[in-house]
Amino acid sequence: MTDLIQRPELPDGAPEAALEEAVRHDSLWRIRWTLFKRSFQGNWKLFRSNKVGLFGLGIIAFWGLLAFLPTVFFATGYWTNSVYNPVTGLERNPPTVEVTLVAEKTDPLTEIDLRDVLLDQRIPQDLQIGETFLRPLQPAPPSARHWLGTDPLGRDIMSQLMHGARAAFGLGFIAATVTVVIATFVGSVAAYFGGALDSFFMRLADLLIMIPALAVLIVLGAIIRFELWHLALVIGLLGGFGGTAIVLKSQALAVKVKPFIDAARVAGGSHSHIIFSHLVPNVMPLSFLYMMFTVTAAIQSEATLSFLGLLNVKTSWGLMINLANTEGYLLQGGTYWWLVFPAGLAVTLLAAAFFLVGRAMDEVINPRLRRR
Amino acid sequence: MVRYFTRRLLQMVVLFLVFITLTWFLLYALPGDIVAQKFAGNPNLPPEARQIAIERLGLDKPIYEQFSDYMVNFFQGDLGTSFNQYPRPVTDIIGERLPRTIVLFLTALVTYYWAGFIAGKYLAWRRGKRGEMAITVGGVGLFTVFYPWFALVMIWLFAAQLGWLPISKFLDPSNWRQAPFAANEVFMRLFWTVAITSALLFAAQIAAAKIRSIPRARLARWGGTAAVIAGFLYYWWGSTAGVEMRFYAGDIARHLLLPVGVLTAVNFAGIMLLTRSSMLETMSEDFILTARAKGLSEKDVRDKHAARTALLPVTTSLVLAVATVLDGGIITETVFSWPGMGEILVSSVTSEDIPVAVAAFSFIGVLALVGHFVVDMLYGVLDPRIRVSGSS
Amino acid sequence: MSRPLLEVDHLVMNYRTDKGDVSAVEDVTFTLHSGESLGLVGESGCGKTSIAMSLLRLVADNAVFKSGEIRLEGTNLLALTEEQMRQRRWSDISMVFQGAMNAWNPVYRVGDQIREAMDLHFRPRLSTAESNDRIERLFNLVGLNPAMANRYPHEFSGGMRQRAIIAMALSCDPKVIIADEPTTALDVIVQDQILQELKKIQAELGMSIIYISHDIAVIAEVTDTIGVMYAGKLVEIGPTSEVFARPRHPYTFLLLSSTPSVTGPRRKLAPLEGEPPNLLDPPKGCRFHPRCPWATDRCHTDEPISEDVGGGHLVACWNWQEVPEIGTLIK
Repeated sequence: MTDLIQRPELPDGAPEAALEEAVRHDSLWRIRWTLFKRSFQGNWKLFRSNKVGLFGLGIIAFWGLLAFLPTVFFATGYWTNSVYNPVTGLERNPPTVEVTLVAEKTDPLTEIDLRDVLLDQRIPQDLQIGETFLRPLQPAPPSARHWLGTDPLGRDIMSQLMHGARAAFGLGFIAATVTVVIATFVGSVAAYFGGALDSFFMRLADLLIMIPALAVLIVLGAIIRFELWHLALVIGLLGGFGGTAIVLKSQALAVKVKPFIDAARVAGGSHSHIIFSHLVPNVMPLSFLYMMFTVTAAIQSEATLSFLGLLNVKTSWGLMINLANTEGYLLQGGTYWWLVFPAGLAVTLLAAAFFLVGRAMDEVINPRLRRR
Repeated sequence: MVRYFTRRLLQMVVLFLVFITLTWFLLYALPGDIVAQKFAGNPNLPPEARQIAIERLGLDKPIYEQFSDYMVNFFQGDLGTSFNQYPRPVTDIIGERLPRTIVLFLTALVTYYWAGFIAGKYLAWRRGKRGEMAITVGGVGLFTVFYPWFALVMIWLFAAQLGWLPISKFLDPSNWRQAPFAANEVFMRLFWTVAITSALLFAAQIAAAKIRSIPRARLARWGGTAAVIAGFLYYWWGSTAGVEMRFYAGDIARHLLLPVGVLTAVNFAGIMLLTRSSMLETMSEDFILTARAKGLSEKDVRDKHAARTALLPVTTSLVLAVATVLDGGIITETVFSWPGMGEILVSSVTSEDIPVAVAAFSFIGVLALVGHFVVDMLYGVLDPRIRVSGSS
Repeated sequence: MSRPLLEVDHLVMNYRTDKGDVSAVEDVTFTLHSGESLGLVGESGCGKTSIAMSLLRLVADNAVFKSGEIRLEGTNLLALTEEQMRQRRWSDISMVFQGAMNAWNPVYRVGDQIREAMDLHFRPRLSTAESNDRIERLFNLVGLNPAMANRYPHEFSGGMRQRAIIAMALSCDPKVIIADEPTTALDVIVQDQILQELKKIQAELGMSIIYISHDIAVIAEVTDTIGVMYAGKLVEIGPTSEVFARPRHPYTFLLLSSTPSVTGPRRKLAPLEGEPPNLLDPPKGCRFHPRCPWATDRCHTDEPISEDVGGGHLVACWNWQEVPEIGTLIK
């Protein structure tokens, strides 16, 4: 097992003792665990020195908290489902605005009832010119009851934002896991066996890289009504057999020529043993890195597709932007800022956060990028 | 080198065939009833008319025959007829839209590659200095920004709020009521003049770089640039054809600015960040020390040695970026209602105009393939190691 | 004797780090005459490369020259502006780099990289024909086929690359060439060829060369004078034959005793024990005393001063008289 013993800086002597203990008892998983803990501690020390990476981690933690909060709010009764449900909730007592009817009720030229066109149907039909009535204000601006106001349908923005975070995390997690599992496997196998298998996977990756993913997703979205996890799966497959596989394969190639692989082969290790016990663990750090980048891509794709209305989801940040856009509030950006900025910034921030963490991890894994 | 590119070219052709086959089966074969319903599914249609429609569309034939028919027609330049704009041939629609996308795509690609590279170069050289972290976080923010939202906010800012640029679309119809030209005619004229000007500018730079005498090289560079720009200006301000069209061309150009700007801004940051890390790696190489020891100024070390070598990985990433720019183009066109391939892909897919969708999707694939091929060639030119191994 | 070409005069250079100053070059003094060759030898991290880089003023950003001067023909290089220094690099002092591989930029032709140096320093600029002619002559001089000038670095073998580096170092008629581990990355036969080539060229063109190497055999072969460095200090300097025949400093003695000699008489090898000191906090007194078998109390407190033991052979050791003849076994 000397292959795994790469000695990073140790915080103290304790893990060393634990390692010796483990080696004595010859339990493989304990050795692995100790080594993992040790390299984690060393790498965490490096990561911590990167301010930008910590900043990204902070943002992820912030959204993680927000994604969790609705559970607490609903459970404690602070939020009621009828008002705060992100999809079916409705604020029944919105603030009102005083409206005075000043124009002709009906446009003389087209004979269209202006009340239908200019205001909304909630105006009483018998309203006369000069009369005043109280029109419910929706979307309503932020208040103590609705921290980020309500959308045009009277639903709470904050609740939607929190549920959107859930969707984003879930999607990102599935997509990243699928990508990394496939890419690690494909990369390791291609690097280990080489030959026709290698060329097949690499040509496939070349093909997938060239495909404009969004165009494919749009077309697929039109054929099958995409659920969230469908999308996660497709993104995972595209990434896993595509660019990520190429990167991980070159890493696996670098590992493959190390002496301990030969040692394992000489010792009579089977192919699957060598791949899974020696190649894959050494490709892992890079896999985690690409997980981060996949999450970024997944969050953005989801938001874009739901913005285009091609995704069958109930709550999502993209959908919030879509609603604000189709109802025409986006171009008045400043006036209805709570419809425009929270959701847009949420996508941007969370995607950026995962990307920043990925970059910081890159500096840990790739010593050439470290400050000298 | 020639052999290397022939091989790449062959690969491209094979990939394209795979691509179009998959596309066709996805869109035609899977939801076969969509096609049928669109034309023949109308319950008010008398049975004999339905039969005629089905036969006209070839829906009674087996799938493989439909496919082979499509492929034969495809390579004869017949892409079928649009469902929604019947009886307009798809080729006609594509022919009108493709140049509009290419303009958006190429302008953005060239601008962001160039601007991102220069910005990344300076950022790397400033390593550890003030503002580096702010620029990095800002760059990442721009790189990961939610694209459609960003585009809409930019429209709000520059068009609705400041009123500098038109909100969306290809042109302003109120300006074109009495126009003596078709919009496409003006656009194509604009397209070709800009394309020729850019090509000549590029050629002038290349030629100037070959001249060894410094003052003469400078003269050639600036003289050549000035001459080409003067030629462009003369065409639009001096010649009769240009003067007549200028107002209308200007209208289209104004509409082009914001989409190109947004597309560039978003992609720019990625290249900037990549150039930065590539530069940082290059700067620790020995040959940078050699260059300094030779007495080169810091600027020359940076521009001629560090940056020139750092360009290689950046160009590799451009291979990946080609597909991204196209993706961005689809969103940009949709948000700005820019009548290009991306916009028609989204609208044809959502309105189930299958022949147009297949064609639009294939051509976006072709654009991606051509983009990759061009970047590959560029890479071969930049890296002498590839050049040699390819020719041997 | 005429004025020396290059004088390094009590040079002190530190690297500023978060943990404090690293004393990389400490009070180093030597001179180099025109046409002479000097070798600097020592373990890695002893400051020999720092001196080389100081001569070109290409030190890292955190390096500080505390005191001392580097005079080339009487001009203090450390007092020049960056622009003036830039003019002098390569035209006055050029360098043959260590690690033959990466000194060339992979994206330019070798000839063009040489031409770049000439374009910077020849006024008026050489015409294309003139510079081609010059590159051809340089390539012939270093034993390369002139047609290779149109090739890229990756088409050269390691030895050819190093020959081309020498050609580039010669391209602007420098007064001093610094050869920093010129042969380290090469195999033994090529090493020897390159060294002979350098020697021949030096005899032909008459410039001065400073060799820097951890390999004492390389230095022995080609230099007139040898300087031995330890932990940032020049502990011994003198005529090469003299120093090899009768090392006076304990470190030199141990260094020579730990190197087998192929041609010389058979002798026992004495290992050099211990590690070089941490330069963040160098030992007080003589920097070698923790590893020195002859160290006395005085060595712990007082820094030894250089003493002439005769014939320009200088040694910085309180107890140099104790050091036995080479080949003697020590306990």
